[in-house]
Amino acid sequence: MLRLTGDPSERAFLNQVLQKSDQNLLECLQCGKCTAGCPIASEEVGGPRQLIAAILIGMKERALKDPTWVYCVSCGTCATRCPVEINMYAVATTLCELAEKENLIPSAPEIHLFEDLFMKSVLKYGRVQELRTVMEYNLRTFKPLKDFSQGLTLMRKGAISPFEILKGRKKNQAVSRLFSKVQQAENGK
Amino acid sequence: MKVSYYPGCSLEVSAKPYNISFRQVCSSLDVELVDVPDWLCCGSSAVLKMNHLLSLSLAAKNLSLIEKQDIEEVVVPCPFCFRRLLSAQQEIGQDQKIREVIRETIEAPLEGNLTIRNLLAFFQTTVGLELIKAKTTKPLKGLKVIPYYGCYMVKPAQVTHFDDPENPTSMDAILTALGAEVLDWDFKTECCGASLSLSKTEKVLELSGRLLKEALWKGADAIVVACQLCQSNLDMRQGEIFTAEKKKHPLPVLYITQLMGLAFGLSAKDLGINHHIVDPLPIIKERGLLS
Repeated sequence: MLRLTGDPSERAFLNQVLQKSDQNLLECLQCGKCTAGCPIASEEVGGPRQLIAAILIGMKERALKDPTWVYCVSCGTCATRCPVEINMYAVATTLCELAEKENLIPSAPEIHLFEDLFMKSVLKYGRVQELRTVMEYNLRTFKPLKDFSQGLTLMRKGAISPFEILKGRKKNQAVSRLFSKVQQAENGK
Repeated sequence: MKVSYYPGCSLEVSAKPYNISFRQVCSSLDVELVDVPDWLCCGSSAVLKMNHLLSLSLAAKNLSLIEKQDIEEVVVPCPFCFRRLLSAQQEIGQDQKIREVIRETIEAPLEGNLTIRNLLAFFQTTVGLELIKAKTTKPLKGLKVIPYYGCYMVKPAQVTHFDDPENPTSMDAILTALGAEVLDWDFKTECCGASLSLSKTEKVLELSGRLLKEALWKGADAIVVACQLCQSNLDMRQGEIFTAEKKKHPLPVLYITQLMGLAFGLSAKDLGINHHIVDPLPIIKERGLLS
């Protein structure tokens, strides 16, 4: 069993995660109900229980490089079943923000890339431009024809319109203002 | 009856059938939907993970726009938007410090007392099963449906406070009211892979694949959903999922609102039923449900 060695840097990381996420990981029983129900846990992705263990023993680098929070789709299954009601997607947000501060490239960078493109679309247009975001993702990952046949079928049936990709939407001023206020609040902290 | 309507980004683009069938059904039920003016994206799972304050501010901004409409209740068909708005209202309500920060970021007042309903709760509580039953002129007799709830509408229970997170029954009840034969199964709230569809497609093939295979094994004619992400994953990925079995596109995936529309006597075309990859029309015809 790994334990805290007493190095202040370990405790600092743990405290940071506890405070930012507002989740009391110290109550974790390591029972494993979270990982048992976690849809993204696999041989490669350790799942919530292991991730919490890494945080509790102050293994900052391991926690920030853990693919679990990158894969997390915030399904809420772990939070629903956890006997002490720890919400892991709140922890995922915390780790994602900390990793960004440290300029760490998260494991599973393609998931991160998609989320990043999604957020940029929201920040530009106010509403995510789904088809443009998909197209951009496919181009950036050098798979321009990914899901092409499904896209074509949907267009043929009239379910989606190719114009949605081409037509430019106006920049949304309200979201720009909101984002600048958010940045101000973050910097003022 | 008048309610505020927050459709969310997907319903404007990739999930138009969900949007139009919901609007059609509401008009049959004499519900007036008042669109939230100038609504913004709720931030979805991407912003929720990447930036807590931005995610909270986007949701709060929308809540303030809804409050301005001066209608007590808002219906949110996208389960993620539903959970995000509800969760933000709770978080802001519980924390004075956050409340002050949010007031600064959204530059608007926020009461925090909206009734935020997902689609199933709206039909169950606001509309009521009796009215749905009364409007059913063409019962879905003989159609074997399997209700799939997905995650975001019911989980985590501490946020959604809706139905049972492991074995929900609200959609079952609506489908029964429509006269369909409702099949029971264990995967009602098992994840479909959600937003990993593009970035980790193999994960979605695994997760959606086991849902589809179980539903087929149960003998379903169709899977019924109330989430556009579930619809898309289950409908769009069947070609890849069933390549090994050499069965192509065997199981239609319909929105609950499309089946309600059919039972209310609306035309399949007006409900966007022809807009899915797996064509639901053959099985609907086979069961004699097309007028």
